[in-house]
Order: sequence, then C-alpha cells, then structure tokens
Amino acid sequence: MSNVLLSVRGLSKNFGGLAAVQSVDMDLQEGVVTALAGPNGAGKTTIFNLMTGNLVASAGDVLLHGKSIIGKKPHRIAQMGIARSFQDLRLFTHMSVRDNVLVAVEPESWFWQPGGKAAWHKRLETVEKALERTGLSAMADKRAVDLSYAETKFLSLARILATGSKIWLLDEPASGLDLNSRNRFINILREATADGVTICLIEHNLDVMTQLADRIAFLDQGKKLAEDVPEKVLRDPELIAIYFGKSQSGN
Amino acid sequence: MINYILNLLTLATIYSIAAASLNVLVGYAGIFSIAHAIFFGLGAYAGAQFALLIVPDVLLASLIGAVVSGALSLLLALPALRVRGEYFVAAGLGLQMVGITIFSEAHSLTGGHGGLVGIPAATLFGFDVSSPGAFLIVCLVALLLSLAVIQILMRSSFGRALMSIRDNESAAESFGKNVPLLKTLAMVVGCAIVGVAGTLFAFNLAFINVESFTLEQSILMLAMVVIGGVGTLSGPLIGAVFLLILPAILTFIPFIPPTEIGTVQQFIYGSLMAVLMIFKPSGIAGKTGGK
Repeated sequence: MSNVLLSVRGLSKNFGGLAAVQSVDMDLQEGVVTALAGPNGAGKTTIFNLMTGNLVASAGDVLLHGKSIIGKKPHRIAQMGIARSFQDLRLFTHMSVRDNVLVAVEPESWFWQPGGKAAWHKRLETVEKALERTGLSAMADKRAVDLSYAETKFLSLARILATGSKIWLLDEPASGLDLNSRNRFINILREATADGVTICLIEHNLDVMTQLADRIAFLDQGKKLAEDVPEKVLRDPELIAIYFGKSQSGN
Repeated sequence: MINYILNLLTLATIYSIAAASLNVLVGYAGIFSIAHAIFFGLGAYAGAQFALLIVPDVLLASLIGAVVSGALSLLLALPALRVRGEYFVAAGLGLQMVGITIFSEAHSLTGGHGGLVGIPAATLFGFDVSSPGAFLIVCLVALLLSLAVIQILMRSSFGRALMSIRDNESAAESFGKNVPLLKTLAMVVGCAIVGVAGTLFAFNLAFINVESFTLEQSILMLAMVVIGGVGTLSGPLIGAVFLLILPAILTFIPFIPPTEIGTVQQFIYGSLMAVLMIFKPSGIAGKTGGK
C-alpha cells in the first residue's frame, strides 16, 4: 500500500442543526488522485475547509504524515505543504499575474524573505516556470482582473504549481473550460502526479473525473457512501441515481 | 502673501504624509480605517510634549511621534483587527470616539480642550528651521522619506502580501500568509508615519487641541486617499493638494462674494466627487479599466 500523506478520521461538521459532514474517513495516498464526487450539498467543499483549517471540525481528526493538524490556522497548514484552490478561484484580482504567483512562493509574512538574493532569484525562476507551464508567460504583467475565464483557471493552477506543495486540494479546477483548455489542464495535473504530487479534487465533470482520478470517494448529505476505483463507483446504479437524481436513474 | 502660500504648501505637505500613510492601510492592506486622525493626534501630542519638555528638535520629536503613534496602534488596533468589513468601520468609529474623549480629558498630557500652547519653534541639529521656507523644506524632506519607505515596502514581498490580503484574505491565508500579523504590521507602519505628520503639524501651528483630530479630520484624510487614488503612490498627494489648495484658490476668485465661498466650495467638491466616483471610481491617479 502507498504511503498515506493526509487522512481524515471520523471527521464531522455541524452547522447548527445541519450535519454537513458526518464521520468521514478517508486517506490520500502519495501520488494518487482521489476525486470527491457527489451532488451539491454533499459536504465536499466543507471537507476541504476542514482539512485546511478554514473550518473547525465538530469531531474527528485530520492527520498530516500521521500527526494531527486539527486546530491549526490555515496559513500554518499551507506552510506545512497543503495547497488548495477555490471553486470561485479567489485570485488577487488587482495584482499582476506574476505577483499572484510570486505571493504563493514567498513564505514569510514579515518585512523580508529568508535566503537573500539567491533565494529571490530561485523564487523568480519558480514563478516563471509555473507561468510557462500554464501558458501565462505572455500575460505576466496583466492584472488578474483583466484575464479571460480560462486564463484565470490556469492562473489559479499556476499559483498552486509554484508552491511546490506535495498535496493539492482542488475545488472544481477545470469547470467551465473548453475541450482544448481542459485537456491542457488535465495534462498539467497528470505531470504533477507523475512528479509525486498527491491530488484530491472535487469535480462534477465525469470526463475529468475518469481521466484523472485513481479513486473516487462518493459523498451524499455529509456521509461517505463509497470509495473505490472510478469504474466501480461510476457503475453503481444507486450512486448514479443519487448523483443525477432519482428520476433519471432508470434511463 | 508669500508666507501664506508657504504655510499652505506646508500644510498640504503634512497632509500628504498623513494621506500617504493612510493609503498603506486602505489602499494596500484593505484596512478601512476611519480613526486615522487619532494616530495623527497621538504623534502631534507626543512630538509637542517632547518639544515642550525636552528639546524642540524636529527630527527627534518626529521619531518620538512615530514611535508613540506606531506603538499605541498595537494596543488600540489589535482588538479591532479581529473584525472585518463594516464591523471594522464600526470599531474604527468607536476608536475615534474613545481617542477624542481621552484627548479631551487627559489634561496633563494633552491640555484638554484648551490644548497645548506655546510649542517652541522647530530646530534641527541646533539650527532654527521655524521660518516658513525652512519648515516647508523640512516637511518636504519628511514627505520624500515617507514616500520612499512606503514605495520600498510596497514593492517588496511585504507589500505583495498586504495587497494579497486586500484582494482576498482567505486565498492569501491558503498561501501561508499570516493575516493578523500582516494587518498589525501595516497598522504600525501607517500609524508611525502619520505620527511624523502629526508632530510636524504641531510644530507648524505651535498650538494643538482636540479639534484637529476629530472624525471630520479622519474623513478628510480618507477623502484625500479616495479622490487621489487608492493603492497608488501619487494618489494621496494629489488628493491632499486637491482638498487643501482648492479652497484657497477659490478665495481668490473675484466674483465669488467672501460670504458665499463656503457654499461654492461645498458645491464644487460635491459635484467633483460625484463626477469622479461615477467616471473614475479608482481616483484621479487610480488605474482605469478592469471589471
């Protein structure tokens, strides 16, 4: 069995009377792409928010390399090597494309960064590589707010790419992309996994899911109903019925 | 007449420093402070007391003003940094009211409503720099230094980090940015610089009282930043000059009766601000375009 980098145990989150996540167990294994699937409101993004410290769990634990990270602030968890993207991208809209990525590789919040000039040049090199890989080099000086939709998606990915983190949590990263852009996007993610990156992604597009995911964890109403290889999960009539709605299950 | 113009330019320079410092908070860090006049006042009282009790050296007094204002920004602002958006504006209003009350009641430190009078003429390394021309040069040097500090910081990783939390706090956190620390540092930098402006203000008038640090003054500084252009280096300067020099120019227009100048000023300001916010909401020096 592969090395487990990140795992959740009995993870639960209640918002008042609503149980958004109910006792979920899951392991993210090194170099494996795990997709979180399920209808809207299944608790997928909430699980990401719990893993990254943006929400405090009502119960359960999140373990990074076997050590609990529950209660840690989001910026500390990011510094520990977990990078995430957001469904609504959350770019730094009034900053340039280059600065958007540069922010992601500057670890300190003080007046200076460690490592002097050598480290500065290395960071710049990392940024340029990430921009080149995502096809954004030509628009490095543009403001993020002036990019097209597809470009904003690639900028979101470039920031993650540049961090050098080995665990990526991607929330609908390829949604709304045209076929060409989507294929380019998928290729970048495949290359990352070949380099040892572990990805957990939330995705509604079945094409993307089947092309990328090694495993699918299926959730509904906060509960994990199944976790297996895509061929099995996507052929389970009960899960498909939940995913597409009961009325379509007979089709 | 010459002295009047020099004094006007000095005042515009001092307010340019204050507006540039507020721009660190509002324009770069996205901290919508509505209590900046309190920190302007802290610098003014601290610098004035130093001049009255120890030595009227404008450099040393400005440093004291900066340290006191910057340090007290920590004590006063840290609780406020726990809230965001409109709640922070409300907290800022509360801070402004508390500050004014303290300025009015702490007689031994501030002179209460009567203020501090007889602030000695400014010196620099033992030389008298209190003449209008010399003091304007001192203020211009202070402005240039302040702008240099702001420019260096805002072009560094610190500036990028501040702008990232301005644009999206949660995304900045997800890239390892310590948002409370960044906001605190921005407050200290912004308030230390406005402390220098406050000290210069005290020397310039030789008298300060609570009236100079009210909510109206905070709003005036905010208007300078917004009209000039948030998040730009030149914007606050343009805003300060615009809001301080224009009233003076209006007094020289012959066909406006002196008794009506206030009304004309208000009309012109109101119209210009409305036109500006409709056609160039990013301010005079702000970047155009974008969604």
